[in-house]
Amino acid sequence: MPRYPLWKYILVLLVMIYAVIYTLPNFYETYPSINVSNYENRNISESELTKLTEDKSISYKGLDGKSIFFESIDDQLSAYNKLSSDQKFKYTLSNYNQIPKWLHAINAQPVSLGLDLKGGVHFLLQIDTENVRKSRANQLETNLRNFLIDNGIRYSNVINDNNEVKFVLINKNINANTLDALSDTFSDYDVSLLEEGEQKNIVARLSEESFADDVKASMTKNLAILRSRVDELGVSQPIIQRQGKDRIIVQLPGLQDSTRAKNILGSTATLEFRLTKGSQDDWTASETIGTNTISESILYRHKNGSPILLSRNVIASGKDIEGANSGFDSQTNQPAVFVNLSSFGASKMLETTSRNIGNTMAVVFVEQDKSEIINVATIREAFSKRFQITGIDMQEAKDLAILLRSGSLSAPMSIIEERTVGPSLGSENIISGRDSMILGMILVILFMFIYYKNFGLVANLALIANILIITATLSLFQATLTLSGIAGIVLTVGMAVDANVLIYERIREELFNGNSPNASIVSGYNKAFSTISDANITTLIAAIALLTIGTGVVKGFAVTLVIGILSSMFTAIIGTRAIISIIYENKTNKGLSI
Amino acid sequence: MLRLIKDIDIKFMAIRRIPMFLSSILVVICLASILLKGFNFGIDFSSGYIVQLKFDKQISIVNIENKFSESNIEDITVQLYGSSKDVLIKLKDEEIFKKNNINNFLNDIFSDESFTISKLEYVGAQVGSELREKGEWAMLIALFSILIYVAIRFELIYGLGAITALIHDVIITLGVFSLFELTFDLSVLAAILAVIGYSLNDSIVVFDRIRENNIILRKLSILDVLDKSINQTLSRTLVTSLTTLLVIISLLIFGGDAVKNFSIAMFIGIIVGTYSSIFVASTSLSYFGIQRPEDS
Repeated sequence: MPRYPLWKYILVLLVMIYAVIYTLPNFYETYPSINVSNYENRNISESELTKLTEDKSISYKGLDGKSIFFESIDDQLSAYNKLSSDQKFKYTLSNYNQIPKWLHAINAQPVSLGLDLKGGVHFLLQIDTENVRKSRANQLETNLRNFLIDNGIRYSNVINDNNEVKFVLINKNINANTLDALSDTFSDYDVSLLEEGEQKNIVARLSEESFADDVKASMTKNLAILRSRVDELGVSQPIIQRQGKDRIIVQLPGLQDSTRAKNILGSTATLEFRLTKGSQDDWTASETIGTNTISESILYRHKNGSPILLSRNVIASGKDIEGANSGFDSQTNQPAVFVNLSSFGASKMLETTSRNIGNTMAVVFVEQDKSEIINVATIREAFSKRFQITGIDMQEAKDLAILLRSGSLSAPMSIIEERTVGPSLGSENIISGRDSMILGMILVILFMFIYYKNFGLVANLALIANILIITATLSLFQATLTLSGIAGIVLTVGMAVDANVLIYERIREELFNGNSPNASIVSGYNKAFSTISDANITTLIAAIALLTIGTGVVKGFAVTLVIGILSSMFTAIIGTRAIISIIYENKTNKGLSI
Repeated sequence: MLRLIKDIDIKFMAIRRIPMFLSSILVVICLASILLKGFNFGIDFSSGYIVQLKFDKQISIVNIENKFSESNIEDITVQLYGSSKDVLIKLKDEEIFKKNNINNFLNDIFSDESFTISKLEYVGAQVGSELREKGEWAMLIALFSILIYVAIRFELIYGLGAITALIHDVIITLGVFSLFELTFDLSVLAAILAVIGYSLNDSIVVFDRIRENNIILRKLSILDVLDKSINQTLSRTLVTSLTTLLVIISLLIFGGDAVKNFSIAMFIGIIVGTYSSIFVASTSLSYFGIQRPEDS
């Protein structure tokens, strides 16, 4: 039997050292934790943290740096609820583990778990492109209308179908200068003068190219707004990324419940401030007759259902709001949102309020096609920049403040896919994944030992090495391990022994053919090599096709399968061969334990 | 030495009509079921909601159904999930959830109960059809790239043989899901793609042996070479299937509901894949007219 080359032994040794070291972080227990930080991002001191936990009577397992860590998720969440009422610090839900510094230094981290294992929320949001088109068309209509009025061109009718804006003209003649000015002013659009028989129309069309630019701009703005909204949810390591032309993925690990996230993320809610019109009698009369008894007014409803007439004119709205905070009214102690208007909004507010002292003003909550009045208050004195809004509960005040702070989405976004897994179900998934892996391994190990004796033991070593290599590689590249990924590993366990089975069956054949044990080992490995590589490369091709689907479940499975195939080829062809050589090399063997 | 298969010499080619007949019947039945009956698609492909709720107190299915029907939602399935406090609800994408999202809706109708949402999955209609389309593409790309690799590494005829066995496996696995109305979701698609890889692995091992025997056993006819190759690789085929099945069984037992559909699909696929690599892949080579290299 020829000597097995030294470099292969060294390679096997190096790979195993790598596998063991990068698997290590996974053995340190991870605890649910809360990270506490100041708004100025200054590090919080140990004593401040201890004081905080005493003040709020929080039961915890330990403190380290800026984290408080807990025995269970329930403890973590109840502590989070207690803490979040305190606005002195910023709190994020996170995970904590006591990995030694030297492991941190070489970037060895535990495997990053998918949302189905650690719990959390996954959203896929899609921008409403029709809305983008519509608002662009409306803007075009307004601009064109102003242009026509400024140039003294009279029109009888406007037709706007969101793709094309058509002004039906009354003037029969338009001079060439005006036409030039028209196409200069609206160079972004496809503007033309069309004659339909006697009739002359000005038709403006939004080009697909500039529409695509609009969608892109809206996406960029929405992405920024979603980021600032997610920041307020107190989740550590959220993922917010663009997908394709019109979609955004939002992943919020550790979040227990998607309700609040959903109410905040996709919300297009904003506020409008309007004066009321008429009296209580007018309002009920307008509702019963069905037409408004007062001109220039619109019928709204209060949150409690009662009708109120409001002025057509908006004093200020969400886009005039620069800042917002939630808190409590200093006199009545009711929940309130404190609003800061921009200088433009403030001057309009001052002008209106100083002329309307004693009158009432309404705060309207507007969300897509739904509007309701949340508060009606008498104007006692003129005010401008800062004021407060009451009439909502604490949670609503908090959420409204977040929405007003982040600004309103430039186009509505709707959730087109959601996957939420609660943290407790996540940990159940981890346990069932682990148990099935252990049972599967025990069964395979037993079978291999009974069937192939000592050679089976060597294959079993390779199997364990495989699990270590897969775990280490997942940890090193921080590839996300999902439940389907665990299924991929379990499957690899079954298939990992295949390469060894091929080799051993070949060795057995050689023995039957009357070859010496040592010659049988050598030719067994040699002859099986091309079969193993052909078989595995074809499986690899199928696994890579899986990766191209790129969706959660399938991708998670494919990632571990690809790593598993590569590592099982390595362990079978080079790894087990090294061990077999150590056992049988330099000896004249009478028989093999196979 | 422990051996599953002792010195056997089964004349696979002499009896090749039997598995061909059996496989044809199975494929026809499965195809008919797929075309006529279709699949019981999970929400991944058909869109809708799956909600798993954990109540503090015991709750009855009827009670839950009533709460939904009070809001005019009738098209739901409710089942207890593990205990009488856990329920799994499947429902369509109702118009009402556009105005009031499902979380708020659940809080409203169960306002007098205390519960947490253990799991909530929603797939919109557009995403559902995209996932289905992507899945079909992945399957086609996988099959096609395998055909090319095998054709280059071996010969075109082997590629055709491998693809025949694969299509056979995929149709029968899909057919079982259709016939027994098992839930077809993304994880089942992943399993079928894995089965493609697995069954292919098996066929390649046999083909590799045929190629080798074609060179060293010059006196044998091509049919005898096919027979001998299948026999020589038979114990390996069975041992590997057995070890893989062992882990799939442990997934079925301990893996929980989240991987149940996956495990079932793998279980069927591996059994069919093993059968096809013994009885279909090489047999189809003989039907495609494989010849000895020196004869051609």
